[in-house]
This record gives sequence, C-alpha cells and structure tokens, in this order.
Amino acid sequence: MTPFDPARMRRTVLEMAYAGSTVHIACAFSIIELLTVLYRDHLRYPGNDPRAEGRDYLVLSKGHGVMAQYACMHELGWLDDFHIQNYCKDGTDLKGLSDSRVAGLEVTSGSLGHGFSVGVGIALGLKRKGTDQKVYAIVGDGEINEGPIWEGALVAAHHRLENLMLIVDKNGFQAMGTTDDVLVLGDLQAKFSSFGFETLEVDGHDEIAIDQAVRQLWSVGSNKPKALIARTVKGKGVSFMESINLWHYTRLNPQSFAEAMSELGFPGASQ
Amino acid sequence: MREAFSSALVRLALSDPKVLLLTGDHGYSLFDEFRKRCPNQYINAGIAEQNMVSMAAGLARVGFRPFVYGLAAFIPIRTIEQIKLDIAHDDLPVVLLGDGAGFVYSHLGTSHQSTEDIACTRAIPQMQVLSPADRFEMTAAMEYAYATRGPVYLRMGKADLGDVHAGPISCLQQGRLLKVRDGRADRPGLIATGSMARAAVDLAASWDLMVWSTPFLKPLDEDDVLAAAQATNGLVTLEEHSVLGGLGAAVAEITSERQPTRVIRIGVPDRFSEHCGSYSYLLREHGLDIDTVRKRIGAYCQTLPSGSML
Repeated sequence: MTPFDPARMRRTVLEMAYAGSTVHIACAFSIIELLTVLYRDHLRYPGNDPRAEGRDYLVLSKGHGVMAQYACMHELGWLDDFHIQNYCKDGTDLKGLSDSRVAGLEVTSGSLGHGFSVGVGIALGLKRKGTDQKVYAIVGDGEINEGPIWEGALVAAHHRLENLMLIVDKNGFQAMGTTDDVLVLGDLQAKFSSFGFETLEVDGHDEIAIDQAVRQLWSVGSNKPKALIARTVKGKGVSFMESINLWHYTRLNPQSFAEAMSELGFPGASQ
Repeated sequence: MREAFSSALVRLALSDPKVLLLTGDHGYSLFDEFRKRCPNQYINAGIAEQNMVSMAAGLARVGFRPFVYGLAAFIPIRTIEQIKLDIAHDDLPVVLLGDGAGFVYSHLGTSHQSTEDIACTRAIPQMQVLSPADRFEMTAAMEYAYATRGPVYLRMGKADLGDVHAGPISCLQQGRLLKVRDGRADRPGLIATGSMARAAVDLAASWDLMVWSTPFLKPLDEDDVLAAAQATNGLVTLEEHSVLGGLGAAVAEITSERQPTRVIRIGVPDRFSEHCGSYSYLLREHGLDIDTVRKRIGAYCQTLPSGSML
C-alpha cells in the first residue's frame, strides 16, 4: 500500500483507540487528509529525523486529534507497532493528548489555545534566523473560542510571519454541540483576512485540493501569514461516526470496532 | 535595584544576540537603555500576555533566550498555565520577570497587587523561583537566571529600600541562603526574602539576631535551612507574599520533616487588601510594617525559656 493512505491511517487510529479504549476518534478522523498531504508532500524532515534542527514544524494545537498524528508518525517509521498496540497502556509514552516530549510532536496540547501561540514564536524565531523553514499550526474550530488564538493572530500579522500557516479544522463541532450552537464563528476566512492573513478555504478531505491550496498560499508573494480554512467532517470515514458528536467521547467495543474496520475496507478485524 | 536589573539585561543581550526581551506593553522608562542599545532584541508583544508566554516558548524551542517581562500580577499569575505547559514542562530556558510584586502598585488595588505568585510558581515542576533583595542580589540573580538554562521566575518587588549586602555577590549558588548578619544563638534567627530583607536587617540590630537573606524560594537548600534552625532558637520568616505557599511555607516544609523547629511566618495574611492607600499603609494593613513585626517577634521571644528580651 502507498504510505499515507488515508484508509490505512484511519485503521491505525482505530487500532490505537481500540487497544487503549480511548476517546477522540472523531477529532482525529477530521484531519487525516490534511495531515496526509502535509506529511507526504510538504513537511521537510532532513534525514527523516523528527528532531532535525532544519525541519519544518507541524504544531498540532488541537491536541485532541493526536491519534491522526501518531498514525502519520507510524507511516514514517517514527513509531513502531508496539506503540500502536499498547496505546495508553501503563508505563507507555504516547498519551491521549499531544505531548511535546514525544519526538515528532512539537507542543503539549489538549489545553486549547496554546499550540498556535507557540507556533507563532517558532515562526518568529525562524524568521529572525533567516531560514526557509515553515511552520504549520492546526487548530480546531472549537479551539478558536480561545482568546490567545486571536492574540497570536494579531502578533503573526504584525511581525509579517509569512513562514506561518494556520490551518483551521472546521468540522463544525466542539465538545458540547455544533460551533454555531455554542459560539458562532461567522465567516472565518473573512475574519482571518481582516486580521491580515492570506486566506483560502478548501475541502479538507480532498487531497489534491488541499495540496493545491497549500502551494497556492505559499506562492503568494506577500509577507502575510497564511490561513487555510479546511471544511471537514468530524468522524470522517466511518458512516456511523460522521458528524455524530458522541464520537468525541465514545469508546469502541468489539462490534463497533469490527464494523468501523469493515467500512474502511479491513473486514474480519477483531482483537 | 531597577538600574541593576536594566544594566544586567543590557549586558546579557549585548553578549548574546539570542537574548530577547519580550514585554506585554509594560516597562515604559525601564527599558530605555535596552531599546537604545539592543533595539533588535526588543519585542513589545502587546497587551496579550498569554500569547507572549507561549510565543516565548516557541522562540526558546528554536534557540533563543527569551526574558519575558510583565507585572507580577500578569507574569506569572495571568499566564500560569502557559508557564506550566509550554515552558516548564519542556524545561525551556525562559526567564519570567514579574515586576511590582507584593504591594508596589498599592493605590491601584487588587488587580495590580501580587501576593500569590511565589506559591503558584513554586508548585510547578522544573521552575526555579528567585526573589532578589537588593541591587547586588539582582545582578547576581540575573546572571544566574541566564546561566541556568532552564525556566526561572524572577520576582521583582519594592526596589528602593536600600542595600542588604555590603557589596557585589560574586555568584549565586543554587538554593543557598546568604547570611547577612551574625547574632545570638539563644534568640530567633530571621530568614527574609525580597523587600523584607532590609526590614529584617533593621529589626535584627537592636536584638542582635542572626539574619539570612534568601534570593531563592525554589530550590531552597535544605541543609542551609537546617543549619539556620540549629544555630538559633526558632526561625522567623519574612516575605511580602501570602503566608500560604511562600518562604514561610517552604522553610516549615523543610524543618517539620527534618528538624522540628518553631517557625513564625511573617507575611501577608490570607486575604485581599481592604482599603486604598500607600505602600507603607498597606504594609501596616497586613501587619508587615516594622512595628507590628517587632511586636510579633517580641511575643515569640516571651515564650522562650530564656525569657523576655524586651
């Protein structure tokens, strides 16, 4: 199979969630294609080293989607099968939310509204150093309820951080309901444009469109930071999870695990 | 003391281009010299402290040495979670400078008074917490904070109370108490930090008490504290900070486990300021003025077998 095949990455997420009896499956599924395109086509890791000094930075500010990032790290060989099969077991390294002590994860997240600001600092530092390294920061649309996101947006524009790309995983849900029900976000593209970002909106599950949008944003000559608003589906890929917010919290049982695996094209899975 | 702070910062920035000063739109005249001599290392991050602290973590991740300045009411208090998660958790070399700690901004009220910052930062793993008492400790504390290459909270309180030490301190040793006055062994010893160190020296003279100044709140050298307890007849701690979680608590934690000793904690009682007033008025309101402190030490001494000293 091709590396970074979205179905296989979702399978890895399911295997982890089932092994660890963990939640946040739907949060991971909405960013599978975004991470696929970034890791496969854009992020540079010299020597395939997650801590290479000259790397690009992928900051997963919405740490709740971390299983999707683990799946990518598995594809890259940074995590082995042991990590997948023993996820969240006592004494292991991979936590239920992003933790910067794991090579490949840049920030400790889960408390929302931190990672983007750390990414702003990384981008400012890289710009001061004059490198061509890039910083991607993925935030959830629920996460941008947090005030520091908007503080960081002001600072990113003020310091003309053209090496920074904010990606909003706009799946329309947060913990307690839809983003419209909880706290209306309005036109995100217009909001970030007004903050001084170059912006585009894209179908967050269309790999070709994502790739083109990322290239297009980087190719804009201006020194503005970039914002990509990705329309996504929470729980994408498994019909009974899609846009069902319970899958923010629900754990797999043998039956739902087998059904989900079957939908992804891996029938007969059981553990 | 503020001049010692400013010149230490300028000196560090001139010697290391990776040193950056981030301020949350505070320090209007304090940074004139820095802005003049190191303009490219000065970042006013706006009135956006949470982003500023996380951003400092990002800058440290790619090799910079951020010094993050704010009023203690905001750095660290407003940003305690950013400090915990983004800086301390990764042991990043970021120095957090909390100015105006205690009752310095007396007239402005509760928003600008800060008497809980030591307690909050002490409880965060990997943080070191310093509170210099005079210009000599300030210079040494800045040098230490830069050299230690880990997260440091440097508390800056009332800065114009005069010197505690006779001259420059060559180098701070981690956690160590600085003895500033010898005295009688049959009487209590005073351990003070920050703005209260000067008061401790003044109080000690008439009774001939031993005095230690501690620029460190964390770590605090246990053997030094035990030695102070053994050399005296009870300890009195003095700090312009809550009696909960600060110097008094730190000393009592050590002595209660290893050398049970009477520890009289002189600090801010567990309450907010009630009234508006000057710095000295607020010290009186909270029982930190020299007359009240003298009475409390005297009352303790009455309980000693040797009887009253008064």
